[in-house]
Amino acid sequence: MSHLNLTISELHALYVSGMTTPLNVVNEVIDALQKDKNNILEATMFDEARAFAATLKVVEEDNLLWGIPFLVKDNFATKGTETNGSSNILNGYIPLFDAEVITRLKALKAIPIAKTTLDELGMGGKGITGHKGITYNPYGEEKTRIVGGSSSGSASGVASGYVPFSLGSDTGDSIRKPASWAGIVGFKPTWGEISRFGLYSFMPTLDHVGFFTRSVYESAYLYEVTKGFDEKDFTTNIKPSPSVLSDITTPLKGRKIAVLKPIMDVMRNQNLIKEFNSLVQKLKDQGAIVDFVPFDEAILAAILPTYFMLSCAETITCNANLTGINFGNKVEGNSYEEIVLNTRTAGFSSKIKYRFLLGNFVLQKSKRNAYYDRAQRGRRIIVDAFNALFETYDTILLPAAPSHAPRIGEKSEPNSEIENNYMAIANFGGYPSITLPLGLDKGLPLGVNLTSHIHQDGKLLNIAYQIEQLTNLYNLHVGQVK
Amino acid sequence: MKYEVIIGLEIHVETKSKTKMFSGAPTSFNAPPNSQVHVIDMAFPGTLPAVNKKAVQNAIMLSHALNMTIDRELHFDRKNYYYSDLPKGYQITQERRPIGKDGLIDIVVGDQTKSIRIERLHMEEDTAKQIHLADVTLIDYNRAGAPLVEIVTKPDIRSGEEAMAFVETIREIVTFTGVGDGKMEEGSLRCDVNISLRPIGSEKFGTKVEIKNLNSISNIGKVIDIEIKRQTAELDAGHAIVSDTRRYDETLKDTVTMRLKDNAIDYKYFREGNIAPITLSEAFIADVIAKTPELPATKRKRYLEVFNLSHHDINILLQDIDQTNYFDVAATLTTNYRTLINWLNGEVSAYLNKEGIKITALALRPENLAKLVNLVSDGKLSNAQARELFSHIAMTNEDPETKAKALNLVQVSDTDFILKVINEVIDENLSVIDDIKAGKDRAMGFLVGQVMKKTGGKVNPGVANTLMRQEIAKR
Repeated sequence: MSHLNLTISELHALYVSGMTTPLNVVNEVIDALQKDKNNILEATMFDEARAFAATLKVVEEDNLLWGIPFLVKDNFATKGTETNGSSNILNGYIPLFDAEVITRLKALKAIPIAKTTLDELGMGGKGITGHKGITYNPYGEEKTRIVGGSSSGSASGVASGYVPFSLGSDTGDSIRKPASWAGIVGFKPTWGEISRFGLYSFMPTLDHVGFFTRSVYESAYLYEVTKGFDEKDFTTNIKPSPSVLSDITTPLKGRKIAVLKPIMDVMRNQNLIKEFNSLVQKLKDQGAIVDFVPFDEAILAAILPTYFMLSCAETITCNANLTGINFGNKVEGNSYEEIVLNTRTAGFSSKIKYRFLLGNFVLQKSKRNAYYDRAQRGRRIIVDAFNALFETYDTILLPAAPSHAPRIGEKSEPNSEIENNYMAIANFGGYPSITLPLGLDKGLPLGVNLTSHIHQDGKLLNIAYQIEQLTNLYNLHVGQVK
Repeated sequence: MKYEVIIGLEIHVETKSKTKMFSGAPTSFNAPPNSQVHVIDMAFPGTLPAVNKKAVQNAIMLSHALNMTIDRELHFDRKNYYYSDLPKGYQITQERRPIGKDGLIDIVVGDQTKSIRIERLHMEEDTAKQIHLADVTLIDYNRAGAPLVEIVTKPDIRSGEEAMAFVETIREIVTFTGVGDGKMEEGSLRCDVNISLRPIGSEKFGTKVEIKNLNSISNIGKVIDIEIKRQTAELDAGHAIVSDTRRYDETLKDTVTMRLKDNAIDYKYFREGNIAPITLSEAFIADVIAKTPELPATKRKRYLEVFNLSHHDINILLQDIDQTNYFDVAATLTTNYRTLINWLNGEVSAYLNKEGIKITALALRPENLAKLVNLVSDGKLSNAQARELFSHIAMTNEDPETKAKALNLVQVSDTDFILKVINEVIDENLSVIDDIKAGKDRAMGFLVGQVMKKTGGKVNPGVANTLMRQEIAKR
């Protein structure tokens, strides 16, 4: 029997019943990955994965992750395995340490199988700027649609059913947007709950570690077992946060849900609107209070420019270590300056250089007051506005994208900027946010997103879990749809 | 024209800690190159800074010693610039909120005390060390990320002498608190000088010049004096001072331009997002303050007021905390503080120099030095005898009284015997007696010396002097 397309819980049940072994599963996953046509892989860890799987003999019944294979976005450092962030500047760079989240997963005997493609160094939303080219969406005709980014390979791999979960990172919407287009669950918890040690930095106060799964419960479970203080990350929460698993099945009755009216007003995909409204009705039927609330459109319009100014400014310094001097893909020169110039000229794509130029511009002394400092104030205003909303509402419910996955080259912002970039609010505020399947539009997934106040991860996951019950899109994967 | 000299100092202090400012790598000095390096120090992708608690405690202790306001929340910033000795491409520092603000300390120049205001004290990390060879530059990352504090004064210093006194005072505080070893020659204390001149009476500051890389306290004074001369000559010639960063050139014996300030780098500071603000509890700060050893200023005050020592002697004593500790123990067993300090700064110090050892390596314990001092003060030993005794017990720490007896070093106090010797000397030197009677008092020393010679130094010179005068008067 095939062990692909199974969720963590389903695989676990097979292990417990003795019907298969981690080694069997790992071998099957490797076979499938080798046949993949969607350009999802960076370096692989096939031999290590087989060797690790072979050591797993006695199943741990209370540990869902025992023997579970997973994929890792290639901006998480993996000891002994090349981690280049899908950038030529890091070709050949092999880390000496594992990212903390990987350490924690490996301690639970989950098995990393391979590294996955991303938009170069996490900068991009479509999965088309990595040094290996476009990563494709498994949905639609072969190699015709983007899967979104930057966590493109991790999203595509879980949608393809190769593994039941993968690691992603989210600085603007890099987990939650591809999750929508890939028809899977993508979750990023409250900032500071999962250690970022080992995650290549894009912008520290926006970067989040998160997961792709094919069920809400399993995102919650992964969060539960990886969260918590890490002495190596001075932004992790010292106080242990409450369990998110105990109340995940709480009924929806009385939950207050806000839908931002200005965003719904610009939506044009009729199937999406229909599915969304149908979900809203089901939520109301369950006793939830759903309000379409007005919201300052100027604040929504400020999200994208604010995001770009801050993230581009800070990402230059986050990548200032990539000089070829200490490590990485060095290009020689006659002086230190020349080595740095040659290495960075050859190593970064023009998209990255564009962001660096923009970032340098907004941070320079004569401009920073008008741009960078103002963007910081803008971030504060945006966060204050959402904090105010969270005083009344348990969560904000919105489509995770204005439509299904675009074709390659197709414009992904058909109507206005606000409908495609508002999910960055969760990064500005460090809010927990989750995308899950909403329905299908001509065989292509549509996603819905929920965002709640910081430290309300439990409430967020509870509502998401109940929505999954309502949509019945548990373990959606491409094999099931095609 | 006459000018007023305006000087502000920026002092970098490497603070003592087992590990680096933001990583767990050890900080031992003189370890083999690149043997004290953590992945964080190399800025490998994905590494994050972890704040060193001991370094924070050191910064609090120094801020307290400099009478500064201590921030209750720690904030860090990035200072962005590319250089091969800076692995991250930025330095983590405290631009917006230094841990210490608005300090004030007294310096002593000659017998004068002057207060110098301190603007800020902030924590940061050191860079890697570069070794430039003919065709290649080697980088030693052992120093990369070592904890530093930077102390920035207000422009309150008015001369090279004051600057030297300030740096010396900081060095004392650093070593007395144990926060650092304060060795300028090893770079664990570094000083940059900002200096400008303005016509006396003028309110407006002149154009500022920065001098970097001064590697000893005496050099600071010397180079400042040279720079004052240079700027005076420029101004007198009607030239404007160019704002630049300079260094001292040993061969030219003058300061030379390193780079112009006009091209100053825009460091594009912004907050370090990888370190959330850290709240320092009152208890945490109070604990550090409670554990602060006696500060040099307090010691100075005590030496002045309790022991009545001279500024000169105190300055010498304060150069080494171990010397002060030695003095403090000895001073509990004798009240002859003047004799004690003379011994410590004289004979003991000369002995240590000769042997090339520190006072901590001297076998003679302060308790026994105090006994020796008491023997001298009580007239039981002459200075010459005491010196001889010291040379015997310095490396053995034998009991001074027992050893003096064993060496037969006891002063004669038998008056009849002394009178007999005195009269012998007078008889042998009748012409000198005439000189003394004619008012040439210097000859007295000669006669007493003769008495000492005849008795092998066993007579108390004071007693001999008094008796000699009596006897001469009888003739």
